[in-house]
Amino acid sequence: MLALASMLNDDGYRSRATAAAPASDLAPKPPHFKPKAKRVIWLFMHGGPSHVDLFDPKPDLRKFAGKPLPESFGAVMTRRAVAKNPLLGPIKPFQKRGESGLEISDFLPHIAENCADDICVIRSMHGDSVNHPQSVYQLNTGSILMGQPSVGSWVTYGLGTVNQNMPGFVVLPDPGGGLKGGPPAWGNAYLPATYQGVTMRPGKTPILDCQTPENISSGQQRGILDLVNQMNQQHSIESGNEDELSARIAAYELAFRMQTAAPGLVDINQETQETHRLYGINQKETRDFGTRCLLARRMIEQGVRFVQVYSGNTNGWDAHKDVLDNHTEYCQKTDKPVAGLIQDLKRRGMLDDTLVIWGGEFGRMPMSEQGKGRDHNPWGFSYFLAGASVKQGFSYGATDPIGLRAAEDKVHVRDFHATVLHLLGLNYEDLSYYHHGLEERLTGPTEARIVKELFS
Amino acid sequence: MSQKKGFLPHFLMLMVFSSVGLGQEADDSKLDEYEITLSDREHWSFQPIVRPSVPQNEQGEWGNNEIDRFILARLKSKGLQPQNEASRRVLIRRLTFDLTGLPPKPEAIKAFIDDNSDDAFDRLVDRLLSSSDYGVHGAQAWLDLARYAETDGFEHDKVRANAWRFRDWVVKALNEDMPYDKFITLQLAGDEVAPGDKSALEATYFCVAGPDMPDINLIEERRHNLLNEMTSTIGEVFLALTIGCAQCHDHKFDPVSQADFYRMRAFFEGSVKLVKNQSLQHLEEDNKKMPSSYLMVRGNFRRKGPELEPQFLRIANYWDANVPIDSEDLPTTGRRTALAKWLTNQKNPLTRRVIVNRIWQGHFGRGLSISPSNFGYTGFEPSHPELLDWLCSEFSERNWSLKQLHRMIVLSATYRQSSRPGETNEERENWKKSMADDHRNELLGRFPQERLTGEVIRDALLSVSGSLNTELGGPSVRPALPVELTTTLLKNQWKTTKDEALCNKRSLYVFARRNLRYPIFEAFDRPSANASCPQRHLSTTAPQSLLLLNSDLSLKLARQFAGDVGRKNRERISFISECYLRAFSRLPTETELRLINGFLDGQVAALKKSGRSEDSLAIPLPAIESLDKFESAARTDLCLALINSNEFVYVE
Repeated sequence: MLALASMLNDDGYRSRATAAAPASDLAPKPPHFKPKAKRVIWLFMHGGPSHVDLFDPKPDLRKFAGKPLPESFGAVMTRRAVAKNPLLGPIKPFQKRGESGLEISDFLPHIAENCADDICVIRSMHGDSVNHPQSVYQLNTGSILMGQPSVGSWVTYGLGTVNQNMPGFVVLPDPGGGLKGGPPAWGNAYLPATYQGVTMRPGKTPILDCQTPENISSGQQRGILDLVNQMNQQHSIESGNEDELSARIAAYELAFRMQTAAPGLVDINQETQETHRLYGINQKETRDFGTRCLLARRMIEQGVRFVQVYSGNTNGWDAHKDVLDNHTEYCQKTDKPVAGLIQDLKRRGMLDDTLVIWGGEFGRMPMSEQGKGRDHNPWGFSYFLAGASVKQGFSYGATDPIGLRAAEDKVHVRDFHATVLHLLGLNYEDLSYYHHGLEERLTGPTEARIVKELFS
Repeated sequence: MSQKKGFLPHFLMLMVFSSVGLGQEADDSKLDEYEITLSDREHWSFQPIVRPSVPQNEQGEWGNNEIDRFILARLKSKGLQPQNEASRRVLIRRLTFDLTGLPPKPEAIKAFIDDNSDDAFDRLVDRLLSSSDYGVHGAQAWLDLARYAETDGFEHDKVRANAWRFRDWVVKALNEDMPYDKFITLQLAGDEVAPGDKSALEATYFCVAGPDMPDINLIEERRHNLLNEMTSTIGEVFLALTIGCAQCHDHKFDPVSQADFYRMRAFFEGSVKLVKNQSLQHLEEDNKKMPSSYLMVRGNFRRKGPELEPQFLRIANYWDANVPIDSEDLPTTGRRTALAKWLTNQKNPLTRRVIVNRIWQGHFGRGLSISPSNFGYTGFEPSHPELLDWLCSEFSERNWSLKQLHRMIVLSATYRQSSRPGETNEERENWKKSMADDHRNELLGRFPQERLTGEVIRDALLSVSGSLNTELGGPSVRPALPVELTTTLLKNQWKTTKDEALCNKRSLYVFARRNLRYPIFEAFDRPSANASCPQRHLSTTAPQSLLLLNSDLSLKLARQFAGDVGRKNRERISFISECYLRAFSRLPTETELRLINGFLDGQVAALKKSGRSEDSLAIPLPAIESLDKFESAARTDLCLALINSNEFVYVE
């Protein structure tokens, strides 16, 4: 035990023993093995998109529409006591798409038309909670409880980041705000603060406090920084504590570089009109999400490791009342931008080593709610991946005949996380952090399954 | 159909994970638990605390009190020597920040430096310990441990209207120097030991201060999560044992069985009264409605295992104390009082070691054991085990007084050492050797330099700019947030406090929303309030620099700093001197005066050259009377530079 304790000394207490986690904590680190993906864009559909209406065709659900859930399905836990409500058939028809024949609903014409042969749908995802915040946390941090580091934090902790002028993990929240569960969804928890998701937004102030105050000119600020630097150099020499204090000097230099780099990074006017159209930036409905998808591409292009783009304000895809109404709105906002992003990455040759993830915190129930709506469903739902040499035009796993529960080749959220890490060249068991006497992992103490069937 | 399909793998899984195999129901109710052996108890932290003898000193040797003799003995054994005493101006800055979380006032610095009496330092210590700022500062460390926030977390993150009363209770308890045994007892069982006493009831917020989801579907799931979280926290905070690791299975490293965990939980089983959609803000118990307690198989709230009675943690209970049988005449079972009594029993090997180590860590940046909430097998043995035990025994002899413990530590020569190399060759050699042979400073042959926390940085900014409102207590305040942050929240989750003076209260009084930390606190490593935090990270990041350089908060306080200094120091030299005194607790050297003079000249020239209009400048608040606007703006620049410097945010 003592040997173990001293072994942990360097790692677990790293941030404390050297007192400062210097800016170089973000320096690129080698993965555990050769990766398929070097970076990630996660398109998070907040509220819970309906798998049975988008990516998981269920002819039986259409057949049994209006009837109650057959007893053979047993008791089912729901958020809003909808278990006894009549089944609601798929809202829009599904068609076979592309050369692969992957079935996608008419809700998503752009993804269907342009990306069916690029994406890899997992139809057998399942999680553990019928509640929004718990499921937002589970998808983002591996745990339904608050207080674990997010996937983006784990990945930047494991791999560092290429662009030393930018944070390694960037989050582009929905401007409507109100993610259920809030900013802890991209929090670093017990990992050093260097790894927390930094929120960015389009426009003049992309990062909080990243702009010189209005009544201080940039020349004036350079003067201030030079003085700070001179004072710090002197202080550092006299104090006999140069290592730690020089880390702070470096942080100021990084801050200055970030301040200089960020506005250019978010300046989408540097892109052609054709690109703007590809993402739907020229149209009202798609302007916001399209802009943020384009920003995501610009960031990973510039060496940011992990970008998350959120769709959906506090209600988002949460179609309790009327799936047609809700999903028409949200598909319209996101379908074209998502398809545009995948096509853009592809034509730039970036899709090969970029992993794109699409999905929310859960799917929706086959039973109806308030007639035309659907309640939360964590027991079976869909995600899709693209890029990173995952199989193309492919679907994996299945829910039961009506889409209530994952049934074949089930993929628990923890398996999904282990698989994402694997694509990045990280072994989920080895990516750990010593905290309170335990080696903590994204996947928790339970063994996870790497879904190798998704890899080509 | 799907059920059938799902059944098989689940059944197989049981075969794999349970050693018994068939018949789930029967197995769950059986208790299979190992005995604690003598060799389990050989681990240092489970050994009884015996007062050690103090190492002997040679005539005239270094040291003020017993602490120093323990420290010196180990230094000498490694061929090391302590550093000389730090200068008076360093000492007053160190001590004032350490005990009150604020920089010393220029008047106080002058008085201390001019005081030639032998007991000048002792009197300074006593003055600071009796100032109310002591409790305000000390409370933050306790609130970190208590994973304190004033909202529920999760989706709605609702406000718990009374949470701030617990924060005020902690401040008051520390300021009154409530003995630590009583401090524990009230937080675990205030409702039992002082029925009808409102403040005692508020103290129990400690137990329920963590995240909670009042709108969760199943109240049984909520109760389970809450009780397990509470039990884990109590294990970490008071016993420094990660008993939470034993929720789903026996602890992997420590001799804590899963049944041990649920027996600890049983003390609290009847004390959380949950109402759907309502926040929980204190404990309460009704002796007539006590639920039974069970081991929850694999930590699953749906799988009750064998029934269990409350019982003290076996590994720390070498004297085999028993929980007294409930008397049904009492309004409550008295179980939690019994737990508090057991924790504060002189025989308990952990409670005192844990708190003494935490207090030590507060002064030196690292504990004698550097795993303050893990004294189990994977934790770290103390660097000075005898010193730790000696302090424990002093602590209980002095009636568990935290102030006395602080006093003993800061009066030591160990605490008063310099944190930088001295002037003479001998001093420099000594420093070099200490750095080379004891890089981590385990042996404390020098004083560590440490960065201030975000809360203290904000308080220091308010203090040097003359804006600090020192009023104590009351509901929390919500200073304006950048709009980029409010949009990540639900609507109306941050109603800005209009009264600016109220917003300038100390950082402890800034509203603690679980789902959104106040930006400067978050940037400087304030822990998320979702788990007990025994020690903060001290990271150095670019967002910290951006915040101190560019935020509205920073610029506004820099302008107020310049304005407040400028009231009585219109001339440059006196302005610079006063700024240095406030920000760094010292006067500038000749070289520095020249440097700053050059800087001001340069900024003025650049500003004039840029052709900026006078009203576009960041001039001091209030404006310095009859001072040129460009010179005024340059003074703001200076103040902004000073608060961004390392010397401002580090204490020697």
